[in-house]
Amino acid sequence: MRTPYITSIALATLASLSLSATVVQADEAKTLNVYTYDSFASDWGPGPKIKANFEKECACTLNYVTLDSSVGILSRVQLEGSSSKADVLLGLDLNLMQAAKASGLVSEHNVDTSKVTTPGGWSDSYFVPFDQGYFAFIYNTETLNEVPKSLKEVVENQDLSVIYQDPRTSTPGLGLMLWMKSVYGDDAGKAWQTLASHTKTVTKGWYDGYSMFLKGEADLVLSYTTSPAYHMVVESESKYKAVPASEGFYPQVEVAAQLKNAPNKALADKFMQFILTQGFQGEVATGNWMFPVIELGDALPKAFTDLEQPAKVLTLPAEQVAAKRKQWINEWLDSVTQ
Amino acid sequence: MRLGSFGSKLTISLLPAILIIGFFCVIGVASFIALLAFQDLSNWHQTLSSRYIWRLLEFSIWQALLSSLLSLVIAIPVTSALMHRRFMGRDFLLQLFSISLVVPTIVAILGIVVVYGRSGWITSVTDIELPLYGLFGILLAHVFFNMPLAVRILIQSHSLIPSGQWRLSYQLGFSRWNLFRWVEWPYLRKALPGAFLLIFMLCFTSFAVVLSLGGGPKSSTLEVAIYQALKFEFDIAKASVLSLLQVFVCTLIAVLVYRFASAYQQDFSLKQLDSFPVKDSLQAKCFDWGVLALALLILLPPFIAILSPIFTPLFIDMLWQEATWQAVWVSIKIAFPSAALSLLLAVGFVSLARASMDRPGWSWLPNKLEYLGGMILILPSLVMATGLFLLLRNLGIAAFDQAYWVVVWVNAVMALPFVLRVVLPTFYQQEKRYRKLYQSLGIRGWARLKIEWPMVRNSVAQATAYALLLSLGDMSVIALFGSQGLLSLPLYLFQLIGSYRIEQGACIAVILVLLCFALFSISTRLIGGKSHA
Repeated sequence: MRTPYITSIALATLASLSLSATVVQADEAKTLNVYTYDSFASDWGPGPKIKANFEKECACTLNYVTLDSSVGILSRVQLEGSSSKADVLLGLDLNLMQAAKASGLVSEHNVDTSKVTTPGGWSDSYFVPFDQGYFAFIYNTETLNEVPKSLKEVVENQDLSVIYQDPRTSTPGLGLMLWMKSVYGDDAGKAWQTLASHTKTVTKGWYDGYSMFLKGEADLVLSYTTSPAYHMVVESESKYKAVPASEGFYPQVEVAAQLKNAPNKALADKFMQFILTQGFQGEVATGNWMFPVIELGDALPKAFTDLEQPAKVLTLPAEQVAAKRKQWINEWLDSVTQ
Repeated sequence: MRLGSFGSKLTISLLPAILIIGFFCVIGVASFIALLAFQDLSNWHQTLSSRYIWRLLEFSIWQALLSSLLSLVIAIPVTSALMHRRFMGRDFLLQLFSISLVVPTIVAILGIVVVYGRSGWITSVTDIELPLYGLFGILLAHVFFNMPLAVRILIQSHSLIPSGQWRLSYQLGFSRWNLFRWVEWPYLRKALPGAFLLIFMLCFTSFAVVLSLGGGPKSSTLEVAIYQALKFEFDIAKASVLSLLQVFVCTLIAVLVYRFASAYQQDFSLKQLDSFPVKDSLQAKCFDWGVLALALLILLPPFIAILSPIFTPLFIDMLWQEATWQAVWVSIKIAFPSAALSLLLAVGFVSLARASMDRPGWSWLPNKLEYLGGMILILPSLVMATGLFLLLRNLGIAAFDQAYWVVVWVNAVMALPFVLRVVLPTFYQQEKRYRKLYQSLGIRGWARLKIEWPMVRNSVAQATAYALLLSLGDMSVIALFGSQGLLSLPLYLFQLIGSYRIEQGACIAVILVLLCFALFSISTRLIGGKSHA
């Protein structure tokens, strides 16, 4: 009979499989799971310090689950659905808020957001902002002589080589897409084609693109108006500057939300409150290199107060963004692959 | 009457095999149903009306066609030369071929970037900047992986040439060319459609290569678009449409290829026993050595590039980091269970296939089983994994482990076509040659396996090694489900390459390659036995 042979192999396999399944379980009651993007939780990001500050207050363990891009955070919890172990999502932005609400996975918060300093104040009942900034192209003053003065000049000057991020995968990329849309309107498709002809590369995330720029691979890279502050504070280097935008800058507000089915609601609540306190906001500037969302006074490094504040801010209504995002992404894909 | 009893005996003794295959099918179908729950038909139209999707499809087909043709065109003379020439380093070359077949995709990509990249070897020596990111890089990587695969397949076919034909051609004084034309070519030709199809599908559904070397949305494939739809848009409907499109194209190509190809016929005659000398000539020599040099030139530099950081202080540094060992552990934790599962599945498929071959009323089955086992080559693993994940989620199984099990199972299924490809011909051959003998002597089951073992252990060892290494090097499903708790070596490496920490990446690549070497030689020694290693 062939039977015993197959059966014994089957049993052996099952045995070895169940052995490997014995996974050590952490003490879950005292653990807060925060889903965030990689650079936030990395050693050089603000994550470790914020973790230490929060753990002092809560007598718990804060556990970061990192995903490789901000857009990926949302789709990960959508995939995991109501059985997700995530308590808090940290790192979505303005333009993903509608999509996140529509998924029905996030719940309302009880945080007093009256002190928030984002343009126009903050009134959203689901999301709490944790940092803010403006998208901008960064250049090296030592290698670039003719500096563009607007987004239009960046797009139309064929001599400039540009790196930006993919709007499908990263929030800066998505931000640029909306920036272009608010400047060019229905002509955005044409503008993307023009930009594509002098684009060095489109990267998946912010970090990839910025690293390439620092290696001298391009004249301009899409980043934030706050990026020069990093070079000034950490490297005492003032050669990197943000390209001005006469049309106005497009803002980014990064936000957090707690999940409806958070396994640890009490801790999630506590963490949401913690976001707008000194323990969190104090680490944002020199950790994530973004502006805090509350008034910090003297605690904000001087390099930040020296930065040029945008004269004009462009924003598209959140509902319009949510409704048109796919269509605009298709427009971008269509234009840049021609 | 005789037929009836035969049929029922077949089913009972093969019950475990049928259960295994049934389990395989049930999981596949259930995952598919879980996906359907997320469908939104209005999205189908929107997806299919996007011009970008058709451009993607065009590029996917074009690069796959070029890749598979290039691989085969190089592989045919290489096979012939390898089988004719006996030289020092031939075993090394053969090893190199089998290694580059299973070397983790992401490692080879790193090697290719180091050699051909912007600040790579070629550019620093010749000052020529190669357009690595785009079609060129994709073709380079695909030929790197698939030319050796083609050679392995062709060698199998080549070794089926009966010794009588060699003797005859020796007696007739065939030249090297005539020998190829009249003896080797008819055998190689039979393997070509299968090899073409396999390589075409591998390239058509290529993921890590295109993701890393495509360089933006212009040179992208359907598989990458599926990944993006799942990972960033969570648009299951779009991912499903794209996978259906992919399955449709693959099926179409498969039908076309098999329509115009002669069926693969197993030969009854005995294996080649001795080699007979061939009438040599200077031209033949030049040609053979030239072809082998070309193969070496394609394969060797990326390997050297990968191994180059061994003696740097950074490598020692990386060895001390916890993250490195964490990734090693995750990789091992995935590779062993999924290789075991893959072999178990293969046992089921092989038992059923060979028991039913050439039996009245059942002879259609082996072929169908082979197709079934190879389904994953056309069904995007990412979509299958997502379906399985949703299935487990609906069944209420905990969220973190669920990702792990999905990765293990899908890796097992992904290795299955390769495992089957290695073990099936050997087991078929045994069945064809000796079944009547075994039957007449009444040797069955365990007793038969004991007699067969020395003759099949080599291919079982090879299959085990492939299954282990494929899971160890997987960079598709893990890219979708990995997070810092489930960060395997390939994913870690992918992240390092993505953030341009090439030096650290190279160190991780070395560790991954060493791990592969270790597992490869352990499984070929332990299972294959000393003489077959």
